[in-house]
Amino acid sequence: MPLEHLPDLLLAIFDLPFRDGYVSSIIFVSLYVSVVAVTLSTLFSIPVAIAMGFSEFPGKQFAKSVVNTGMGFPSVAVGLLVLFAVSNQGPLGPLELVFTKEAMIMSQFVLATPPITAISLAAITGVNQNVRDTARVLGGTRLDVALVVLKEARYGIATAILAGFGRAISEVGSVLIVGGNITGADGISKTRTLTTAIQLEARQGQYGTAMVLGGILVALVLLVNAIVVRFGDVGVQR
Amino acid sequence: MLRATDIARTYGDENVLEQLSVTVDAGEVVAVIGPSGVGKTTLLRTLALFDEPEAGTVEFDGTDAWAVDDDERLGLRRRIGMVFQAASLFDASVARNVEYGLRIRRSWRDRVRSELHSLVRSNGTADAVRESLDVVGMADEMAAHAGSLSGGEAQRVSFARALAYDPDVLLLDEPTSDLDPRNTAVIEDAIAEARERGIGVVVATHDMHQAERVADRVAVLLADSITEVAPTDVIFQNPSDDRTKQFISGELVY
Repeated sequence: MPLEHLPDLLLAIFDLPFRDGYVSSIIFVSLYVSVVAVTLSTLFSIPVAIAMGFSEFPGKQFAKSVVNTGMGFPSVAVGLLVLFAVSNQGPLGPLELVFTKEAMIMSQFVLATPPITAISLAAITGVNQNVRDTARVLGGTRLDVALVVLKEARYGIATAILAGFGRAISEVGSVLIVGGNITGADGISKTRTLTTAIQLEARQGQYGTAMVLGGILVALVLLVNAIVVRFGDVGVQR
Repeated sequence: MLRATDIARTYGDENVLEQLSVTVDAGEVVAVIGPSGVGKTTLLRTLALFDEPEAGTVEFDGTDAWAVDDDERLGLRRRIGMVFQAASLFDASVARNVEYGLRIRRSWRDRVRSELHSLVRSNGTADAVRESLDVVGMADEMAAHAGSLSGGEAQRVSFARALAYDPDVLLLDEPTSDLDPRNTAVIEDAIAEARERGIGVVVATHDMHQAERVADRVAVLLADSITEVAPTDVIFQNPSDDRTKQFISGELVY
């Protein structure tokens, strides 16, 4: 952003040129889509990571490679695939999900799942074998051993979820394709997120407002990180 | 009480243990001595019902541990405590570490209730936790985080953790090999305390002086089998096996 727009930025903080409820609605859409997608992804990824981390099977290395490769999926390609899936001719066409939050959740789910799975798996397999042996030799069942490993890996798993959340909430390409960056006639966001709004404002030359929205996005990510780290610290004290 | 008869274990093509027999009774300390890498850890893991022997039997009070179902074997395993060479404490407080064995023996309903209760207020410390920490002189460190302990302190807590649930047999794998003399003395006193409580103790060590200090009987493990098992004074003063004689005198070096 050109520096001469800095005064505009300061003005924009106090005088956002938006209708009432616009900013809060795009914050809500951003959080709603990302939190739901990451929650679903976590519910899917952690059991997969546990299953992979606690078992040996043919093709395990290949499966890990696939998951790791998934971390590099281009988001626009994911958006395009989800768009094909939910379009009228696609397998999910009858559900009429094009340009809806649900379609955005689907694309963010696909994007967040590989990092959450891969980092959780690395955290679980990184727990020292001695810890597993100790839990077992003290009389633990398989479930007890698994719980101990999960507890020891909790920071890594929290990092995985944060990485997934970071990827989801900061994502532009796929949510633009499947969500459409739509607001209603009343100016309230339907599928517009902070990232797509920033992209729109910057394209229109409204750098000040784009920066304010960017600041809100960064603050949200920091807030979520702080909450997760705080929970981790409470866990350690016990 | 715990008896291994003619057990064998291999890793790949290599025999680690072959036709090896050893027993431990209540209130008895048996030291397994031998050079590093001879299979002492493998023997203890087999005695702990951790790994199934490829041949032979491991009996606990007359029950063949590998002839019963998983639940019954878990019940037998829960009567055994083991301390590894490396302390490997969990990432939690000393008290939480020591109460682990007690916690997992409770019903799931109790465990969940206790966990939920601990979110609001402390559940207090079980007497067994305090007593076992007292045995190793760590009762004052109950609230400390495991990560803040020295190696010797961590090993003492590790010993207390195995003692807390009052096992019938305690297996110690080189418990003092990385410790200074003070911490070693604490562990050796704790072994004596365990014997006083009627616990059968098997301690694997390459420190012959330690075996002489703590054990009632000594089993000498050389190569892949036990060459001789006898009362401690017999092993060190009048061993009958030639290889044992050479090992005790320091002539047989691996």
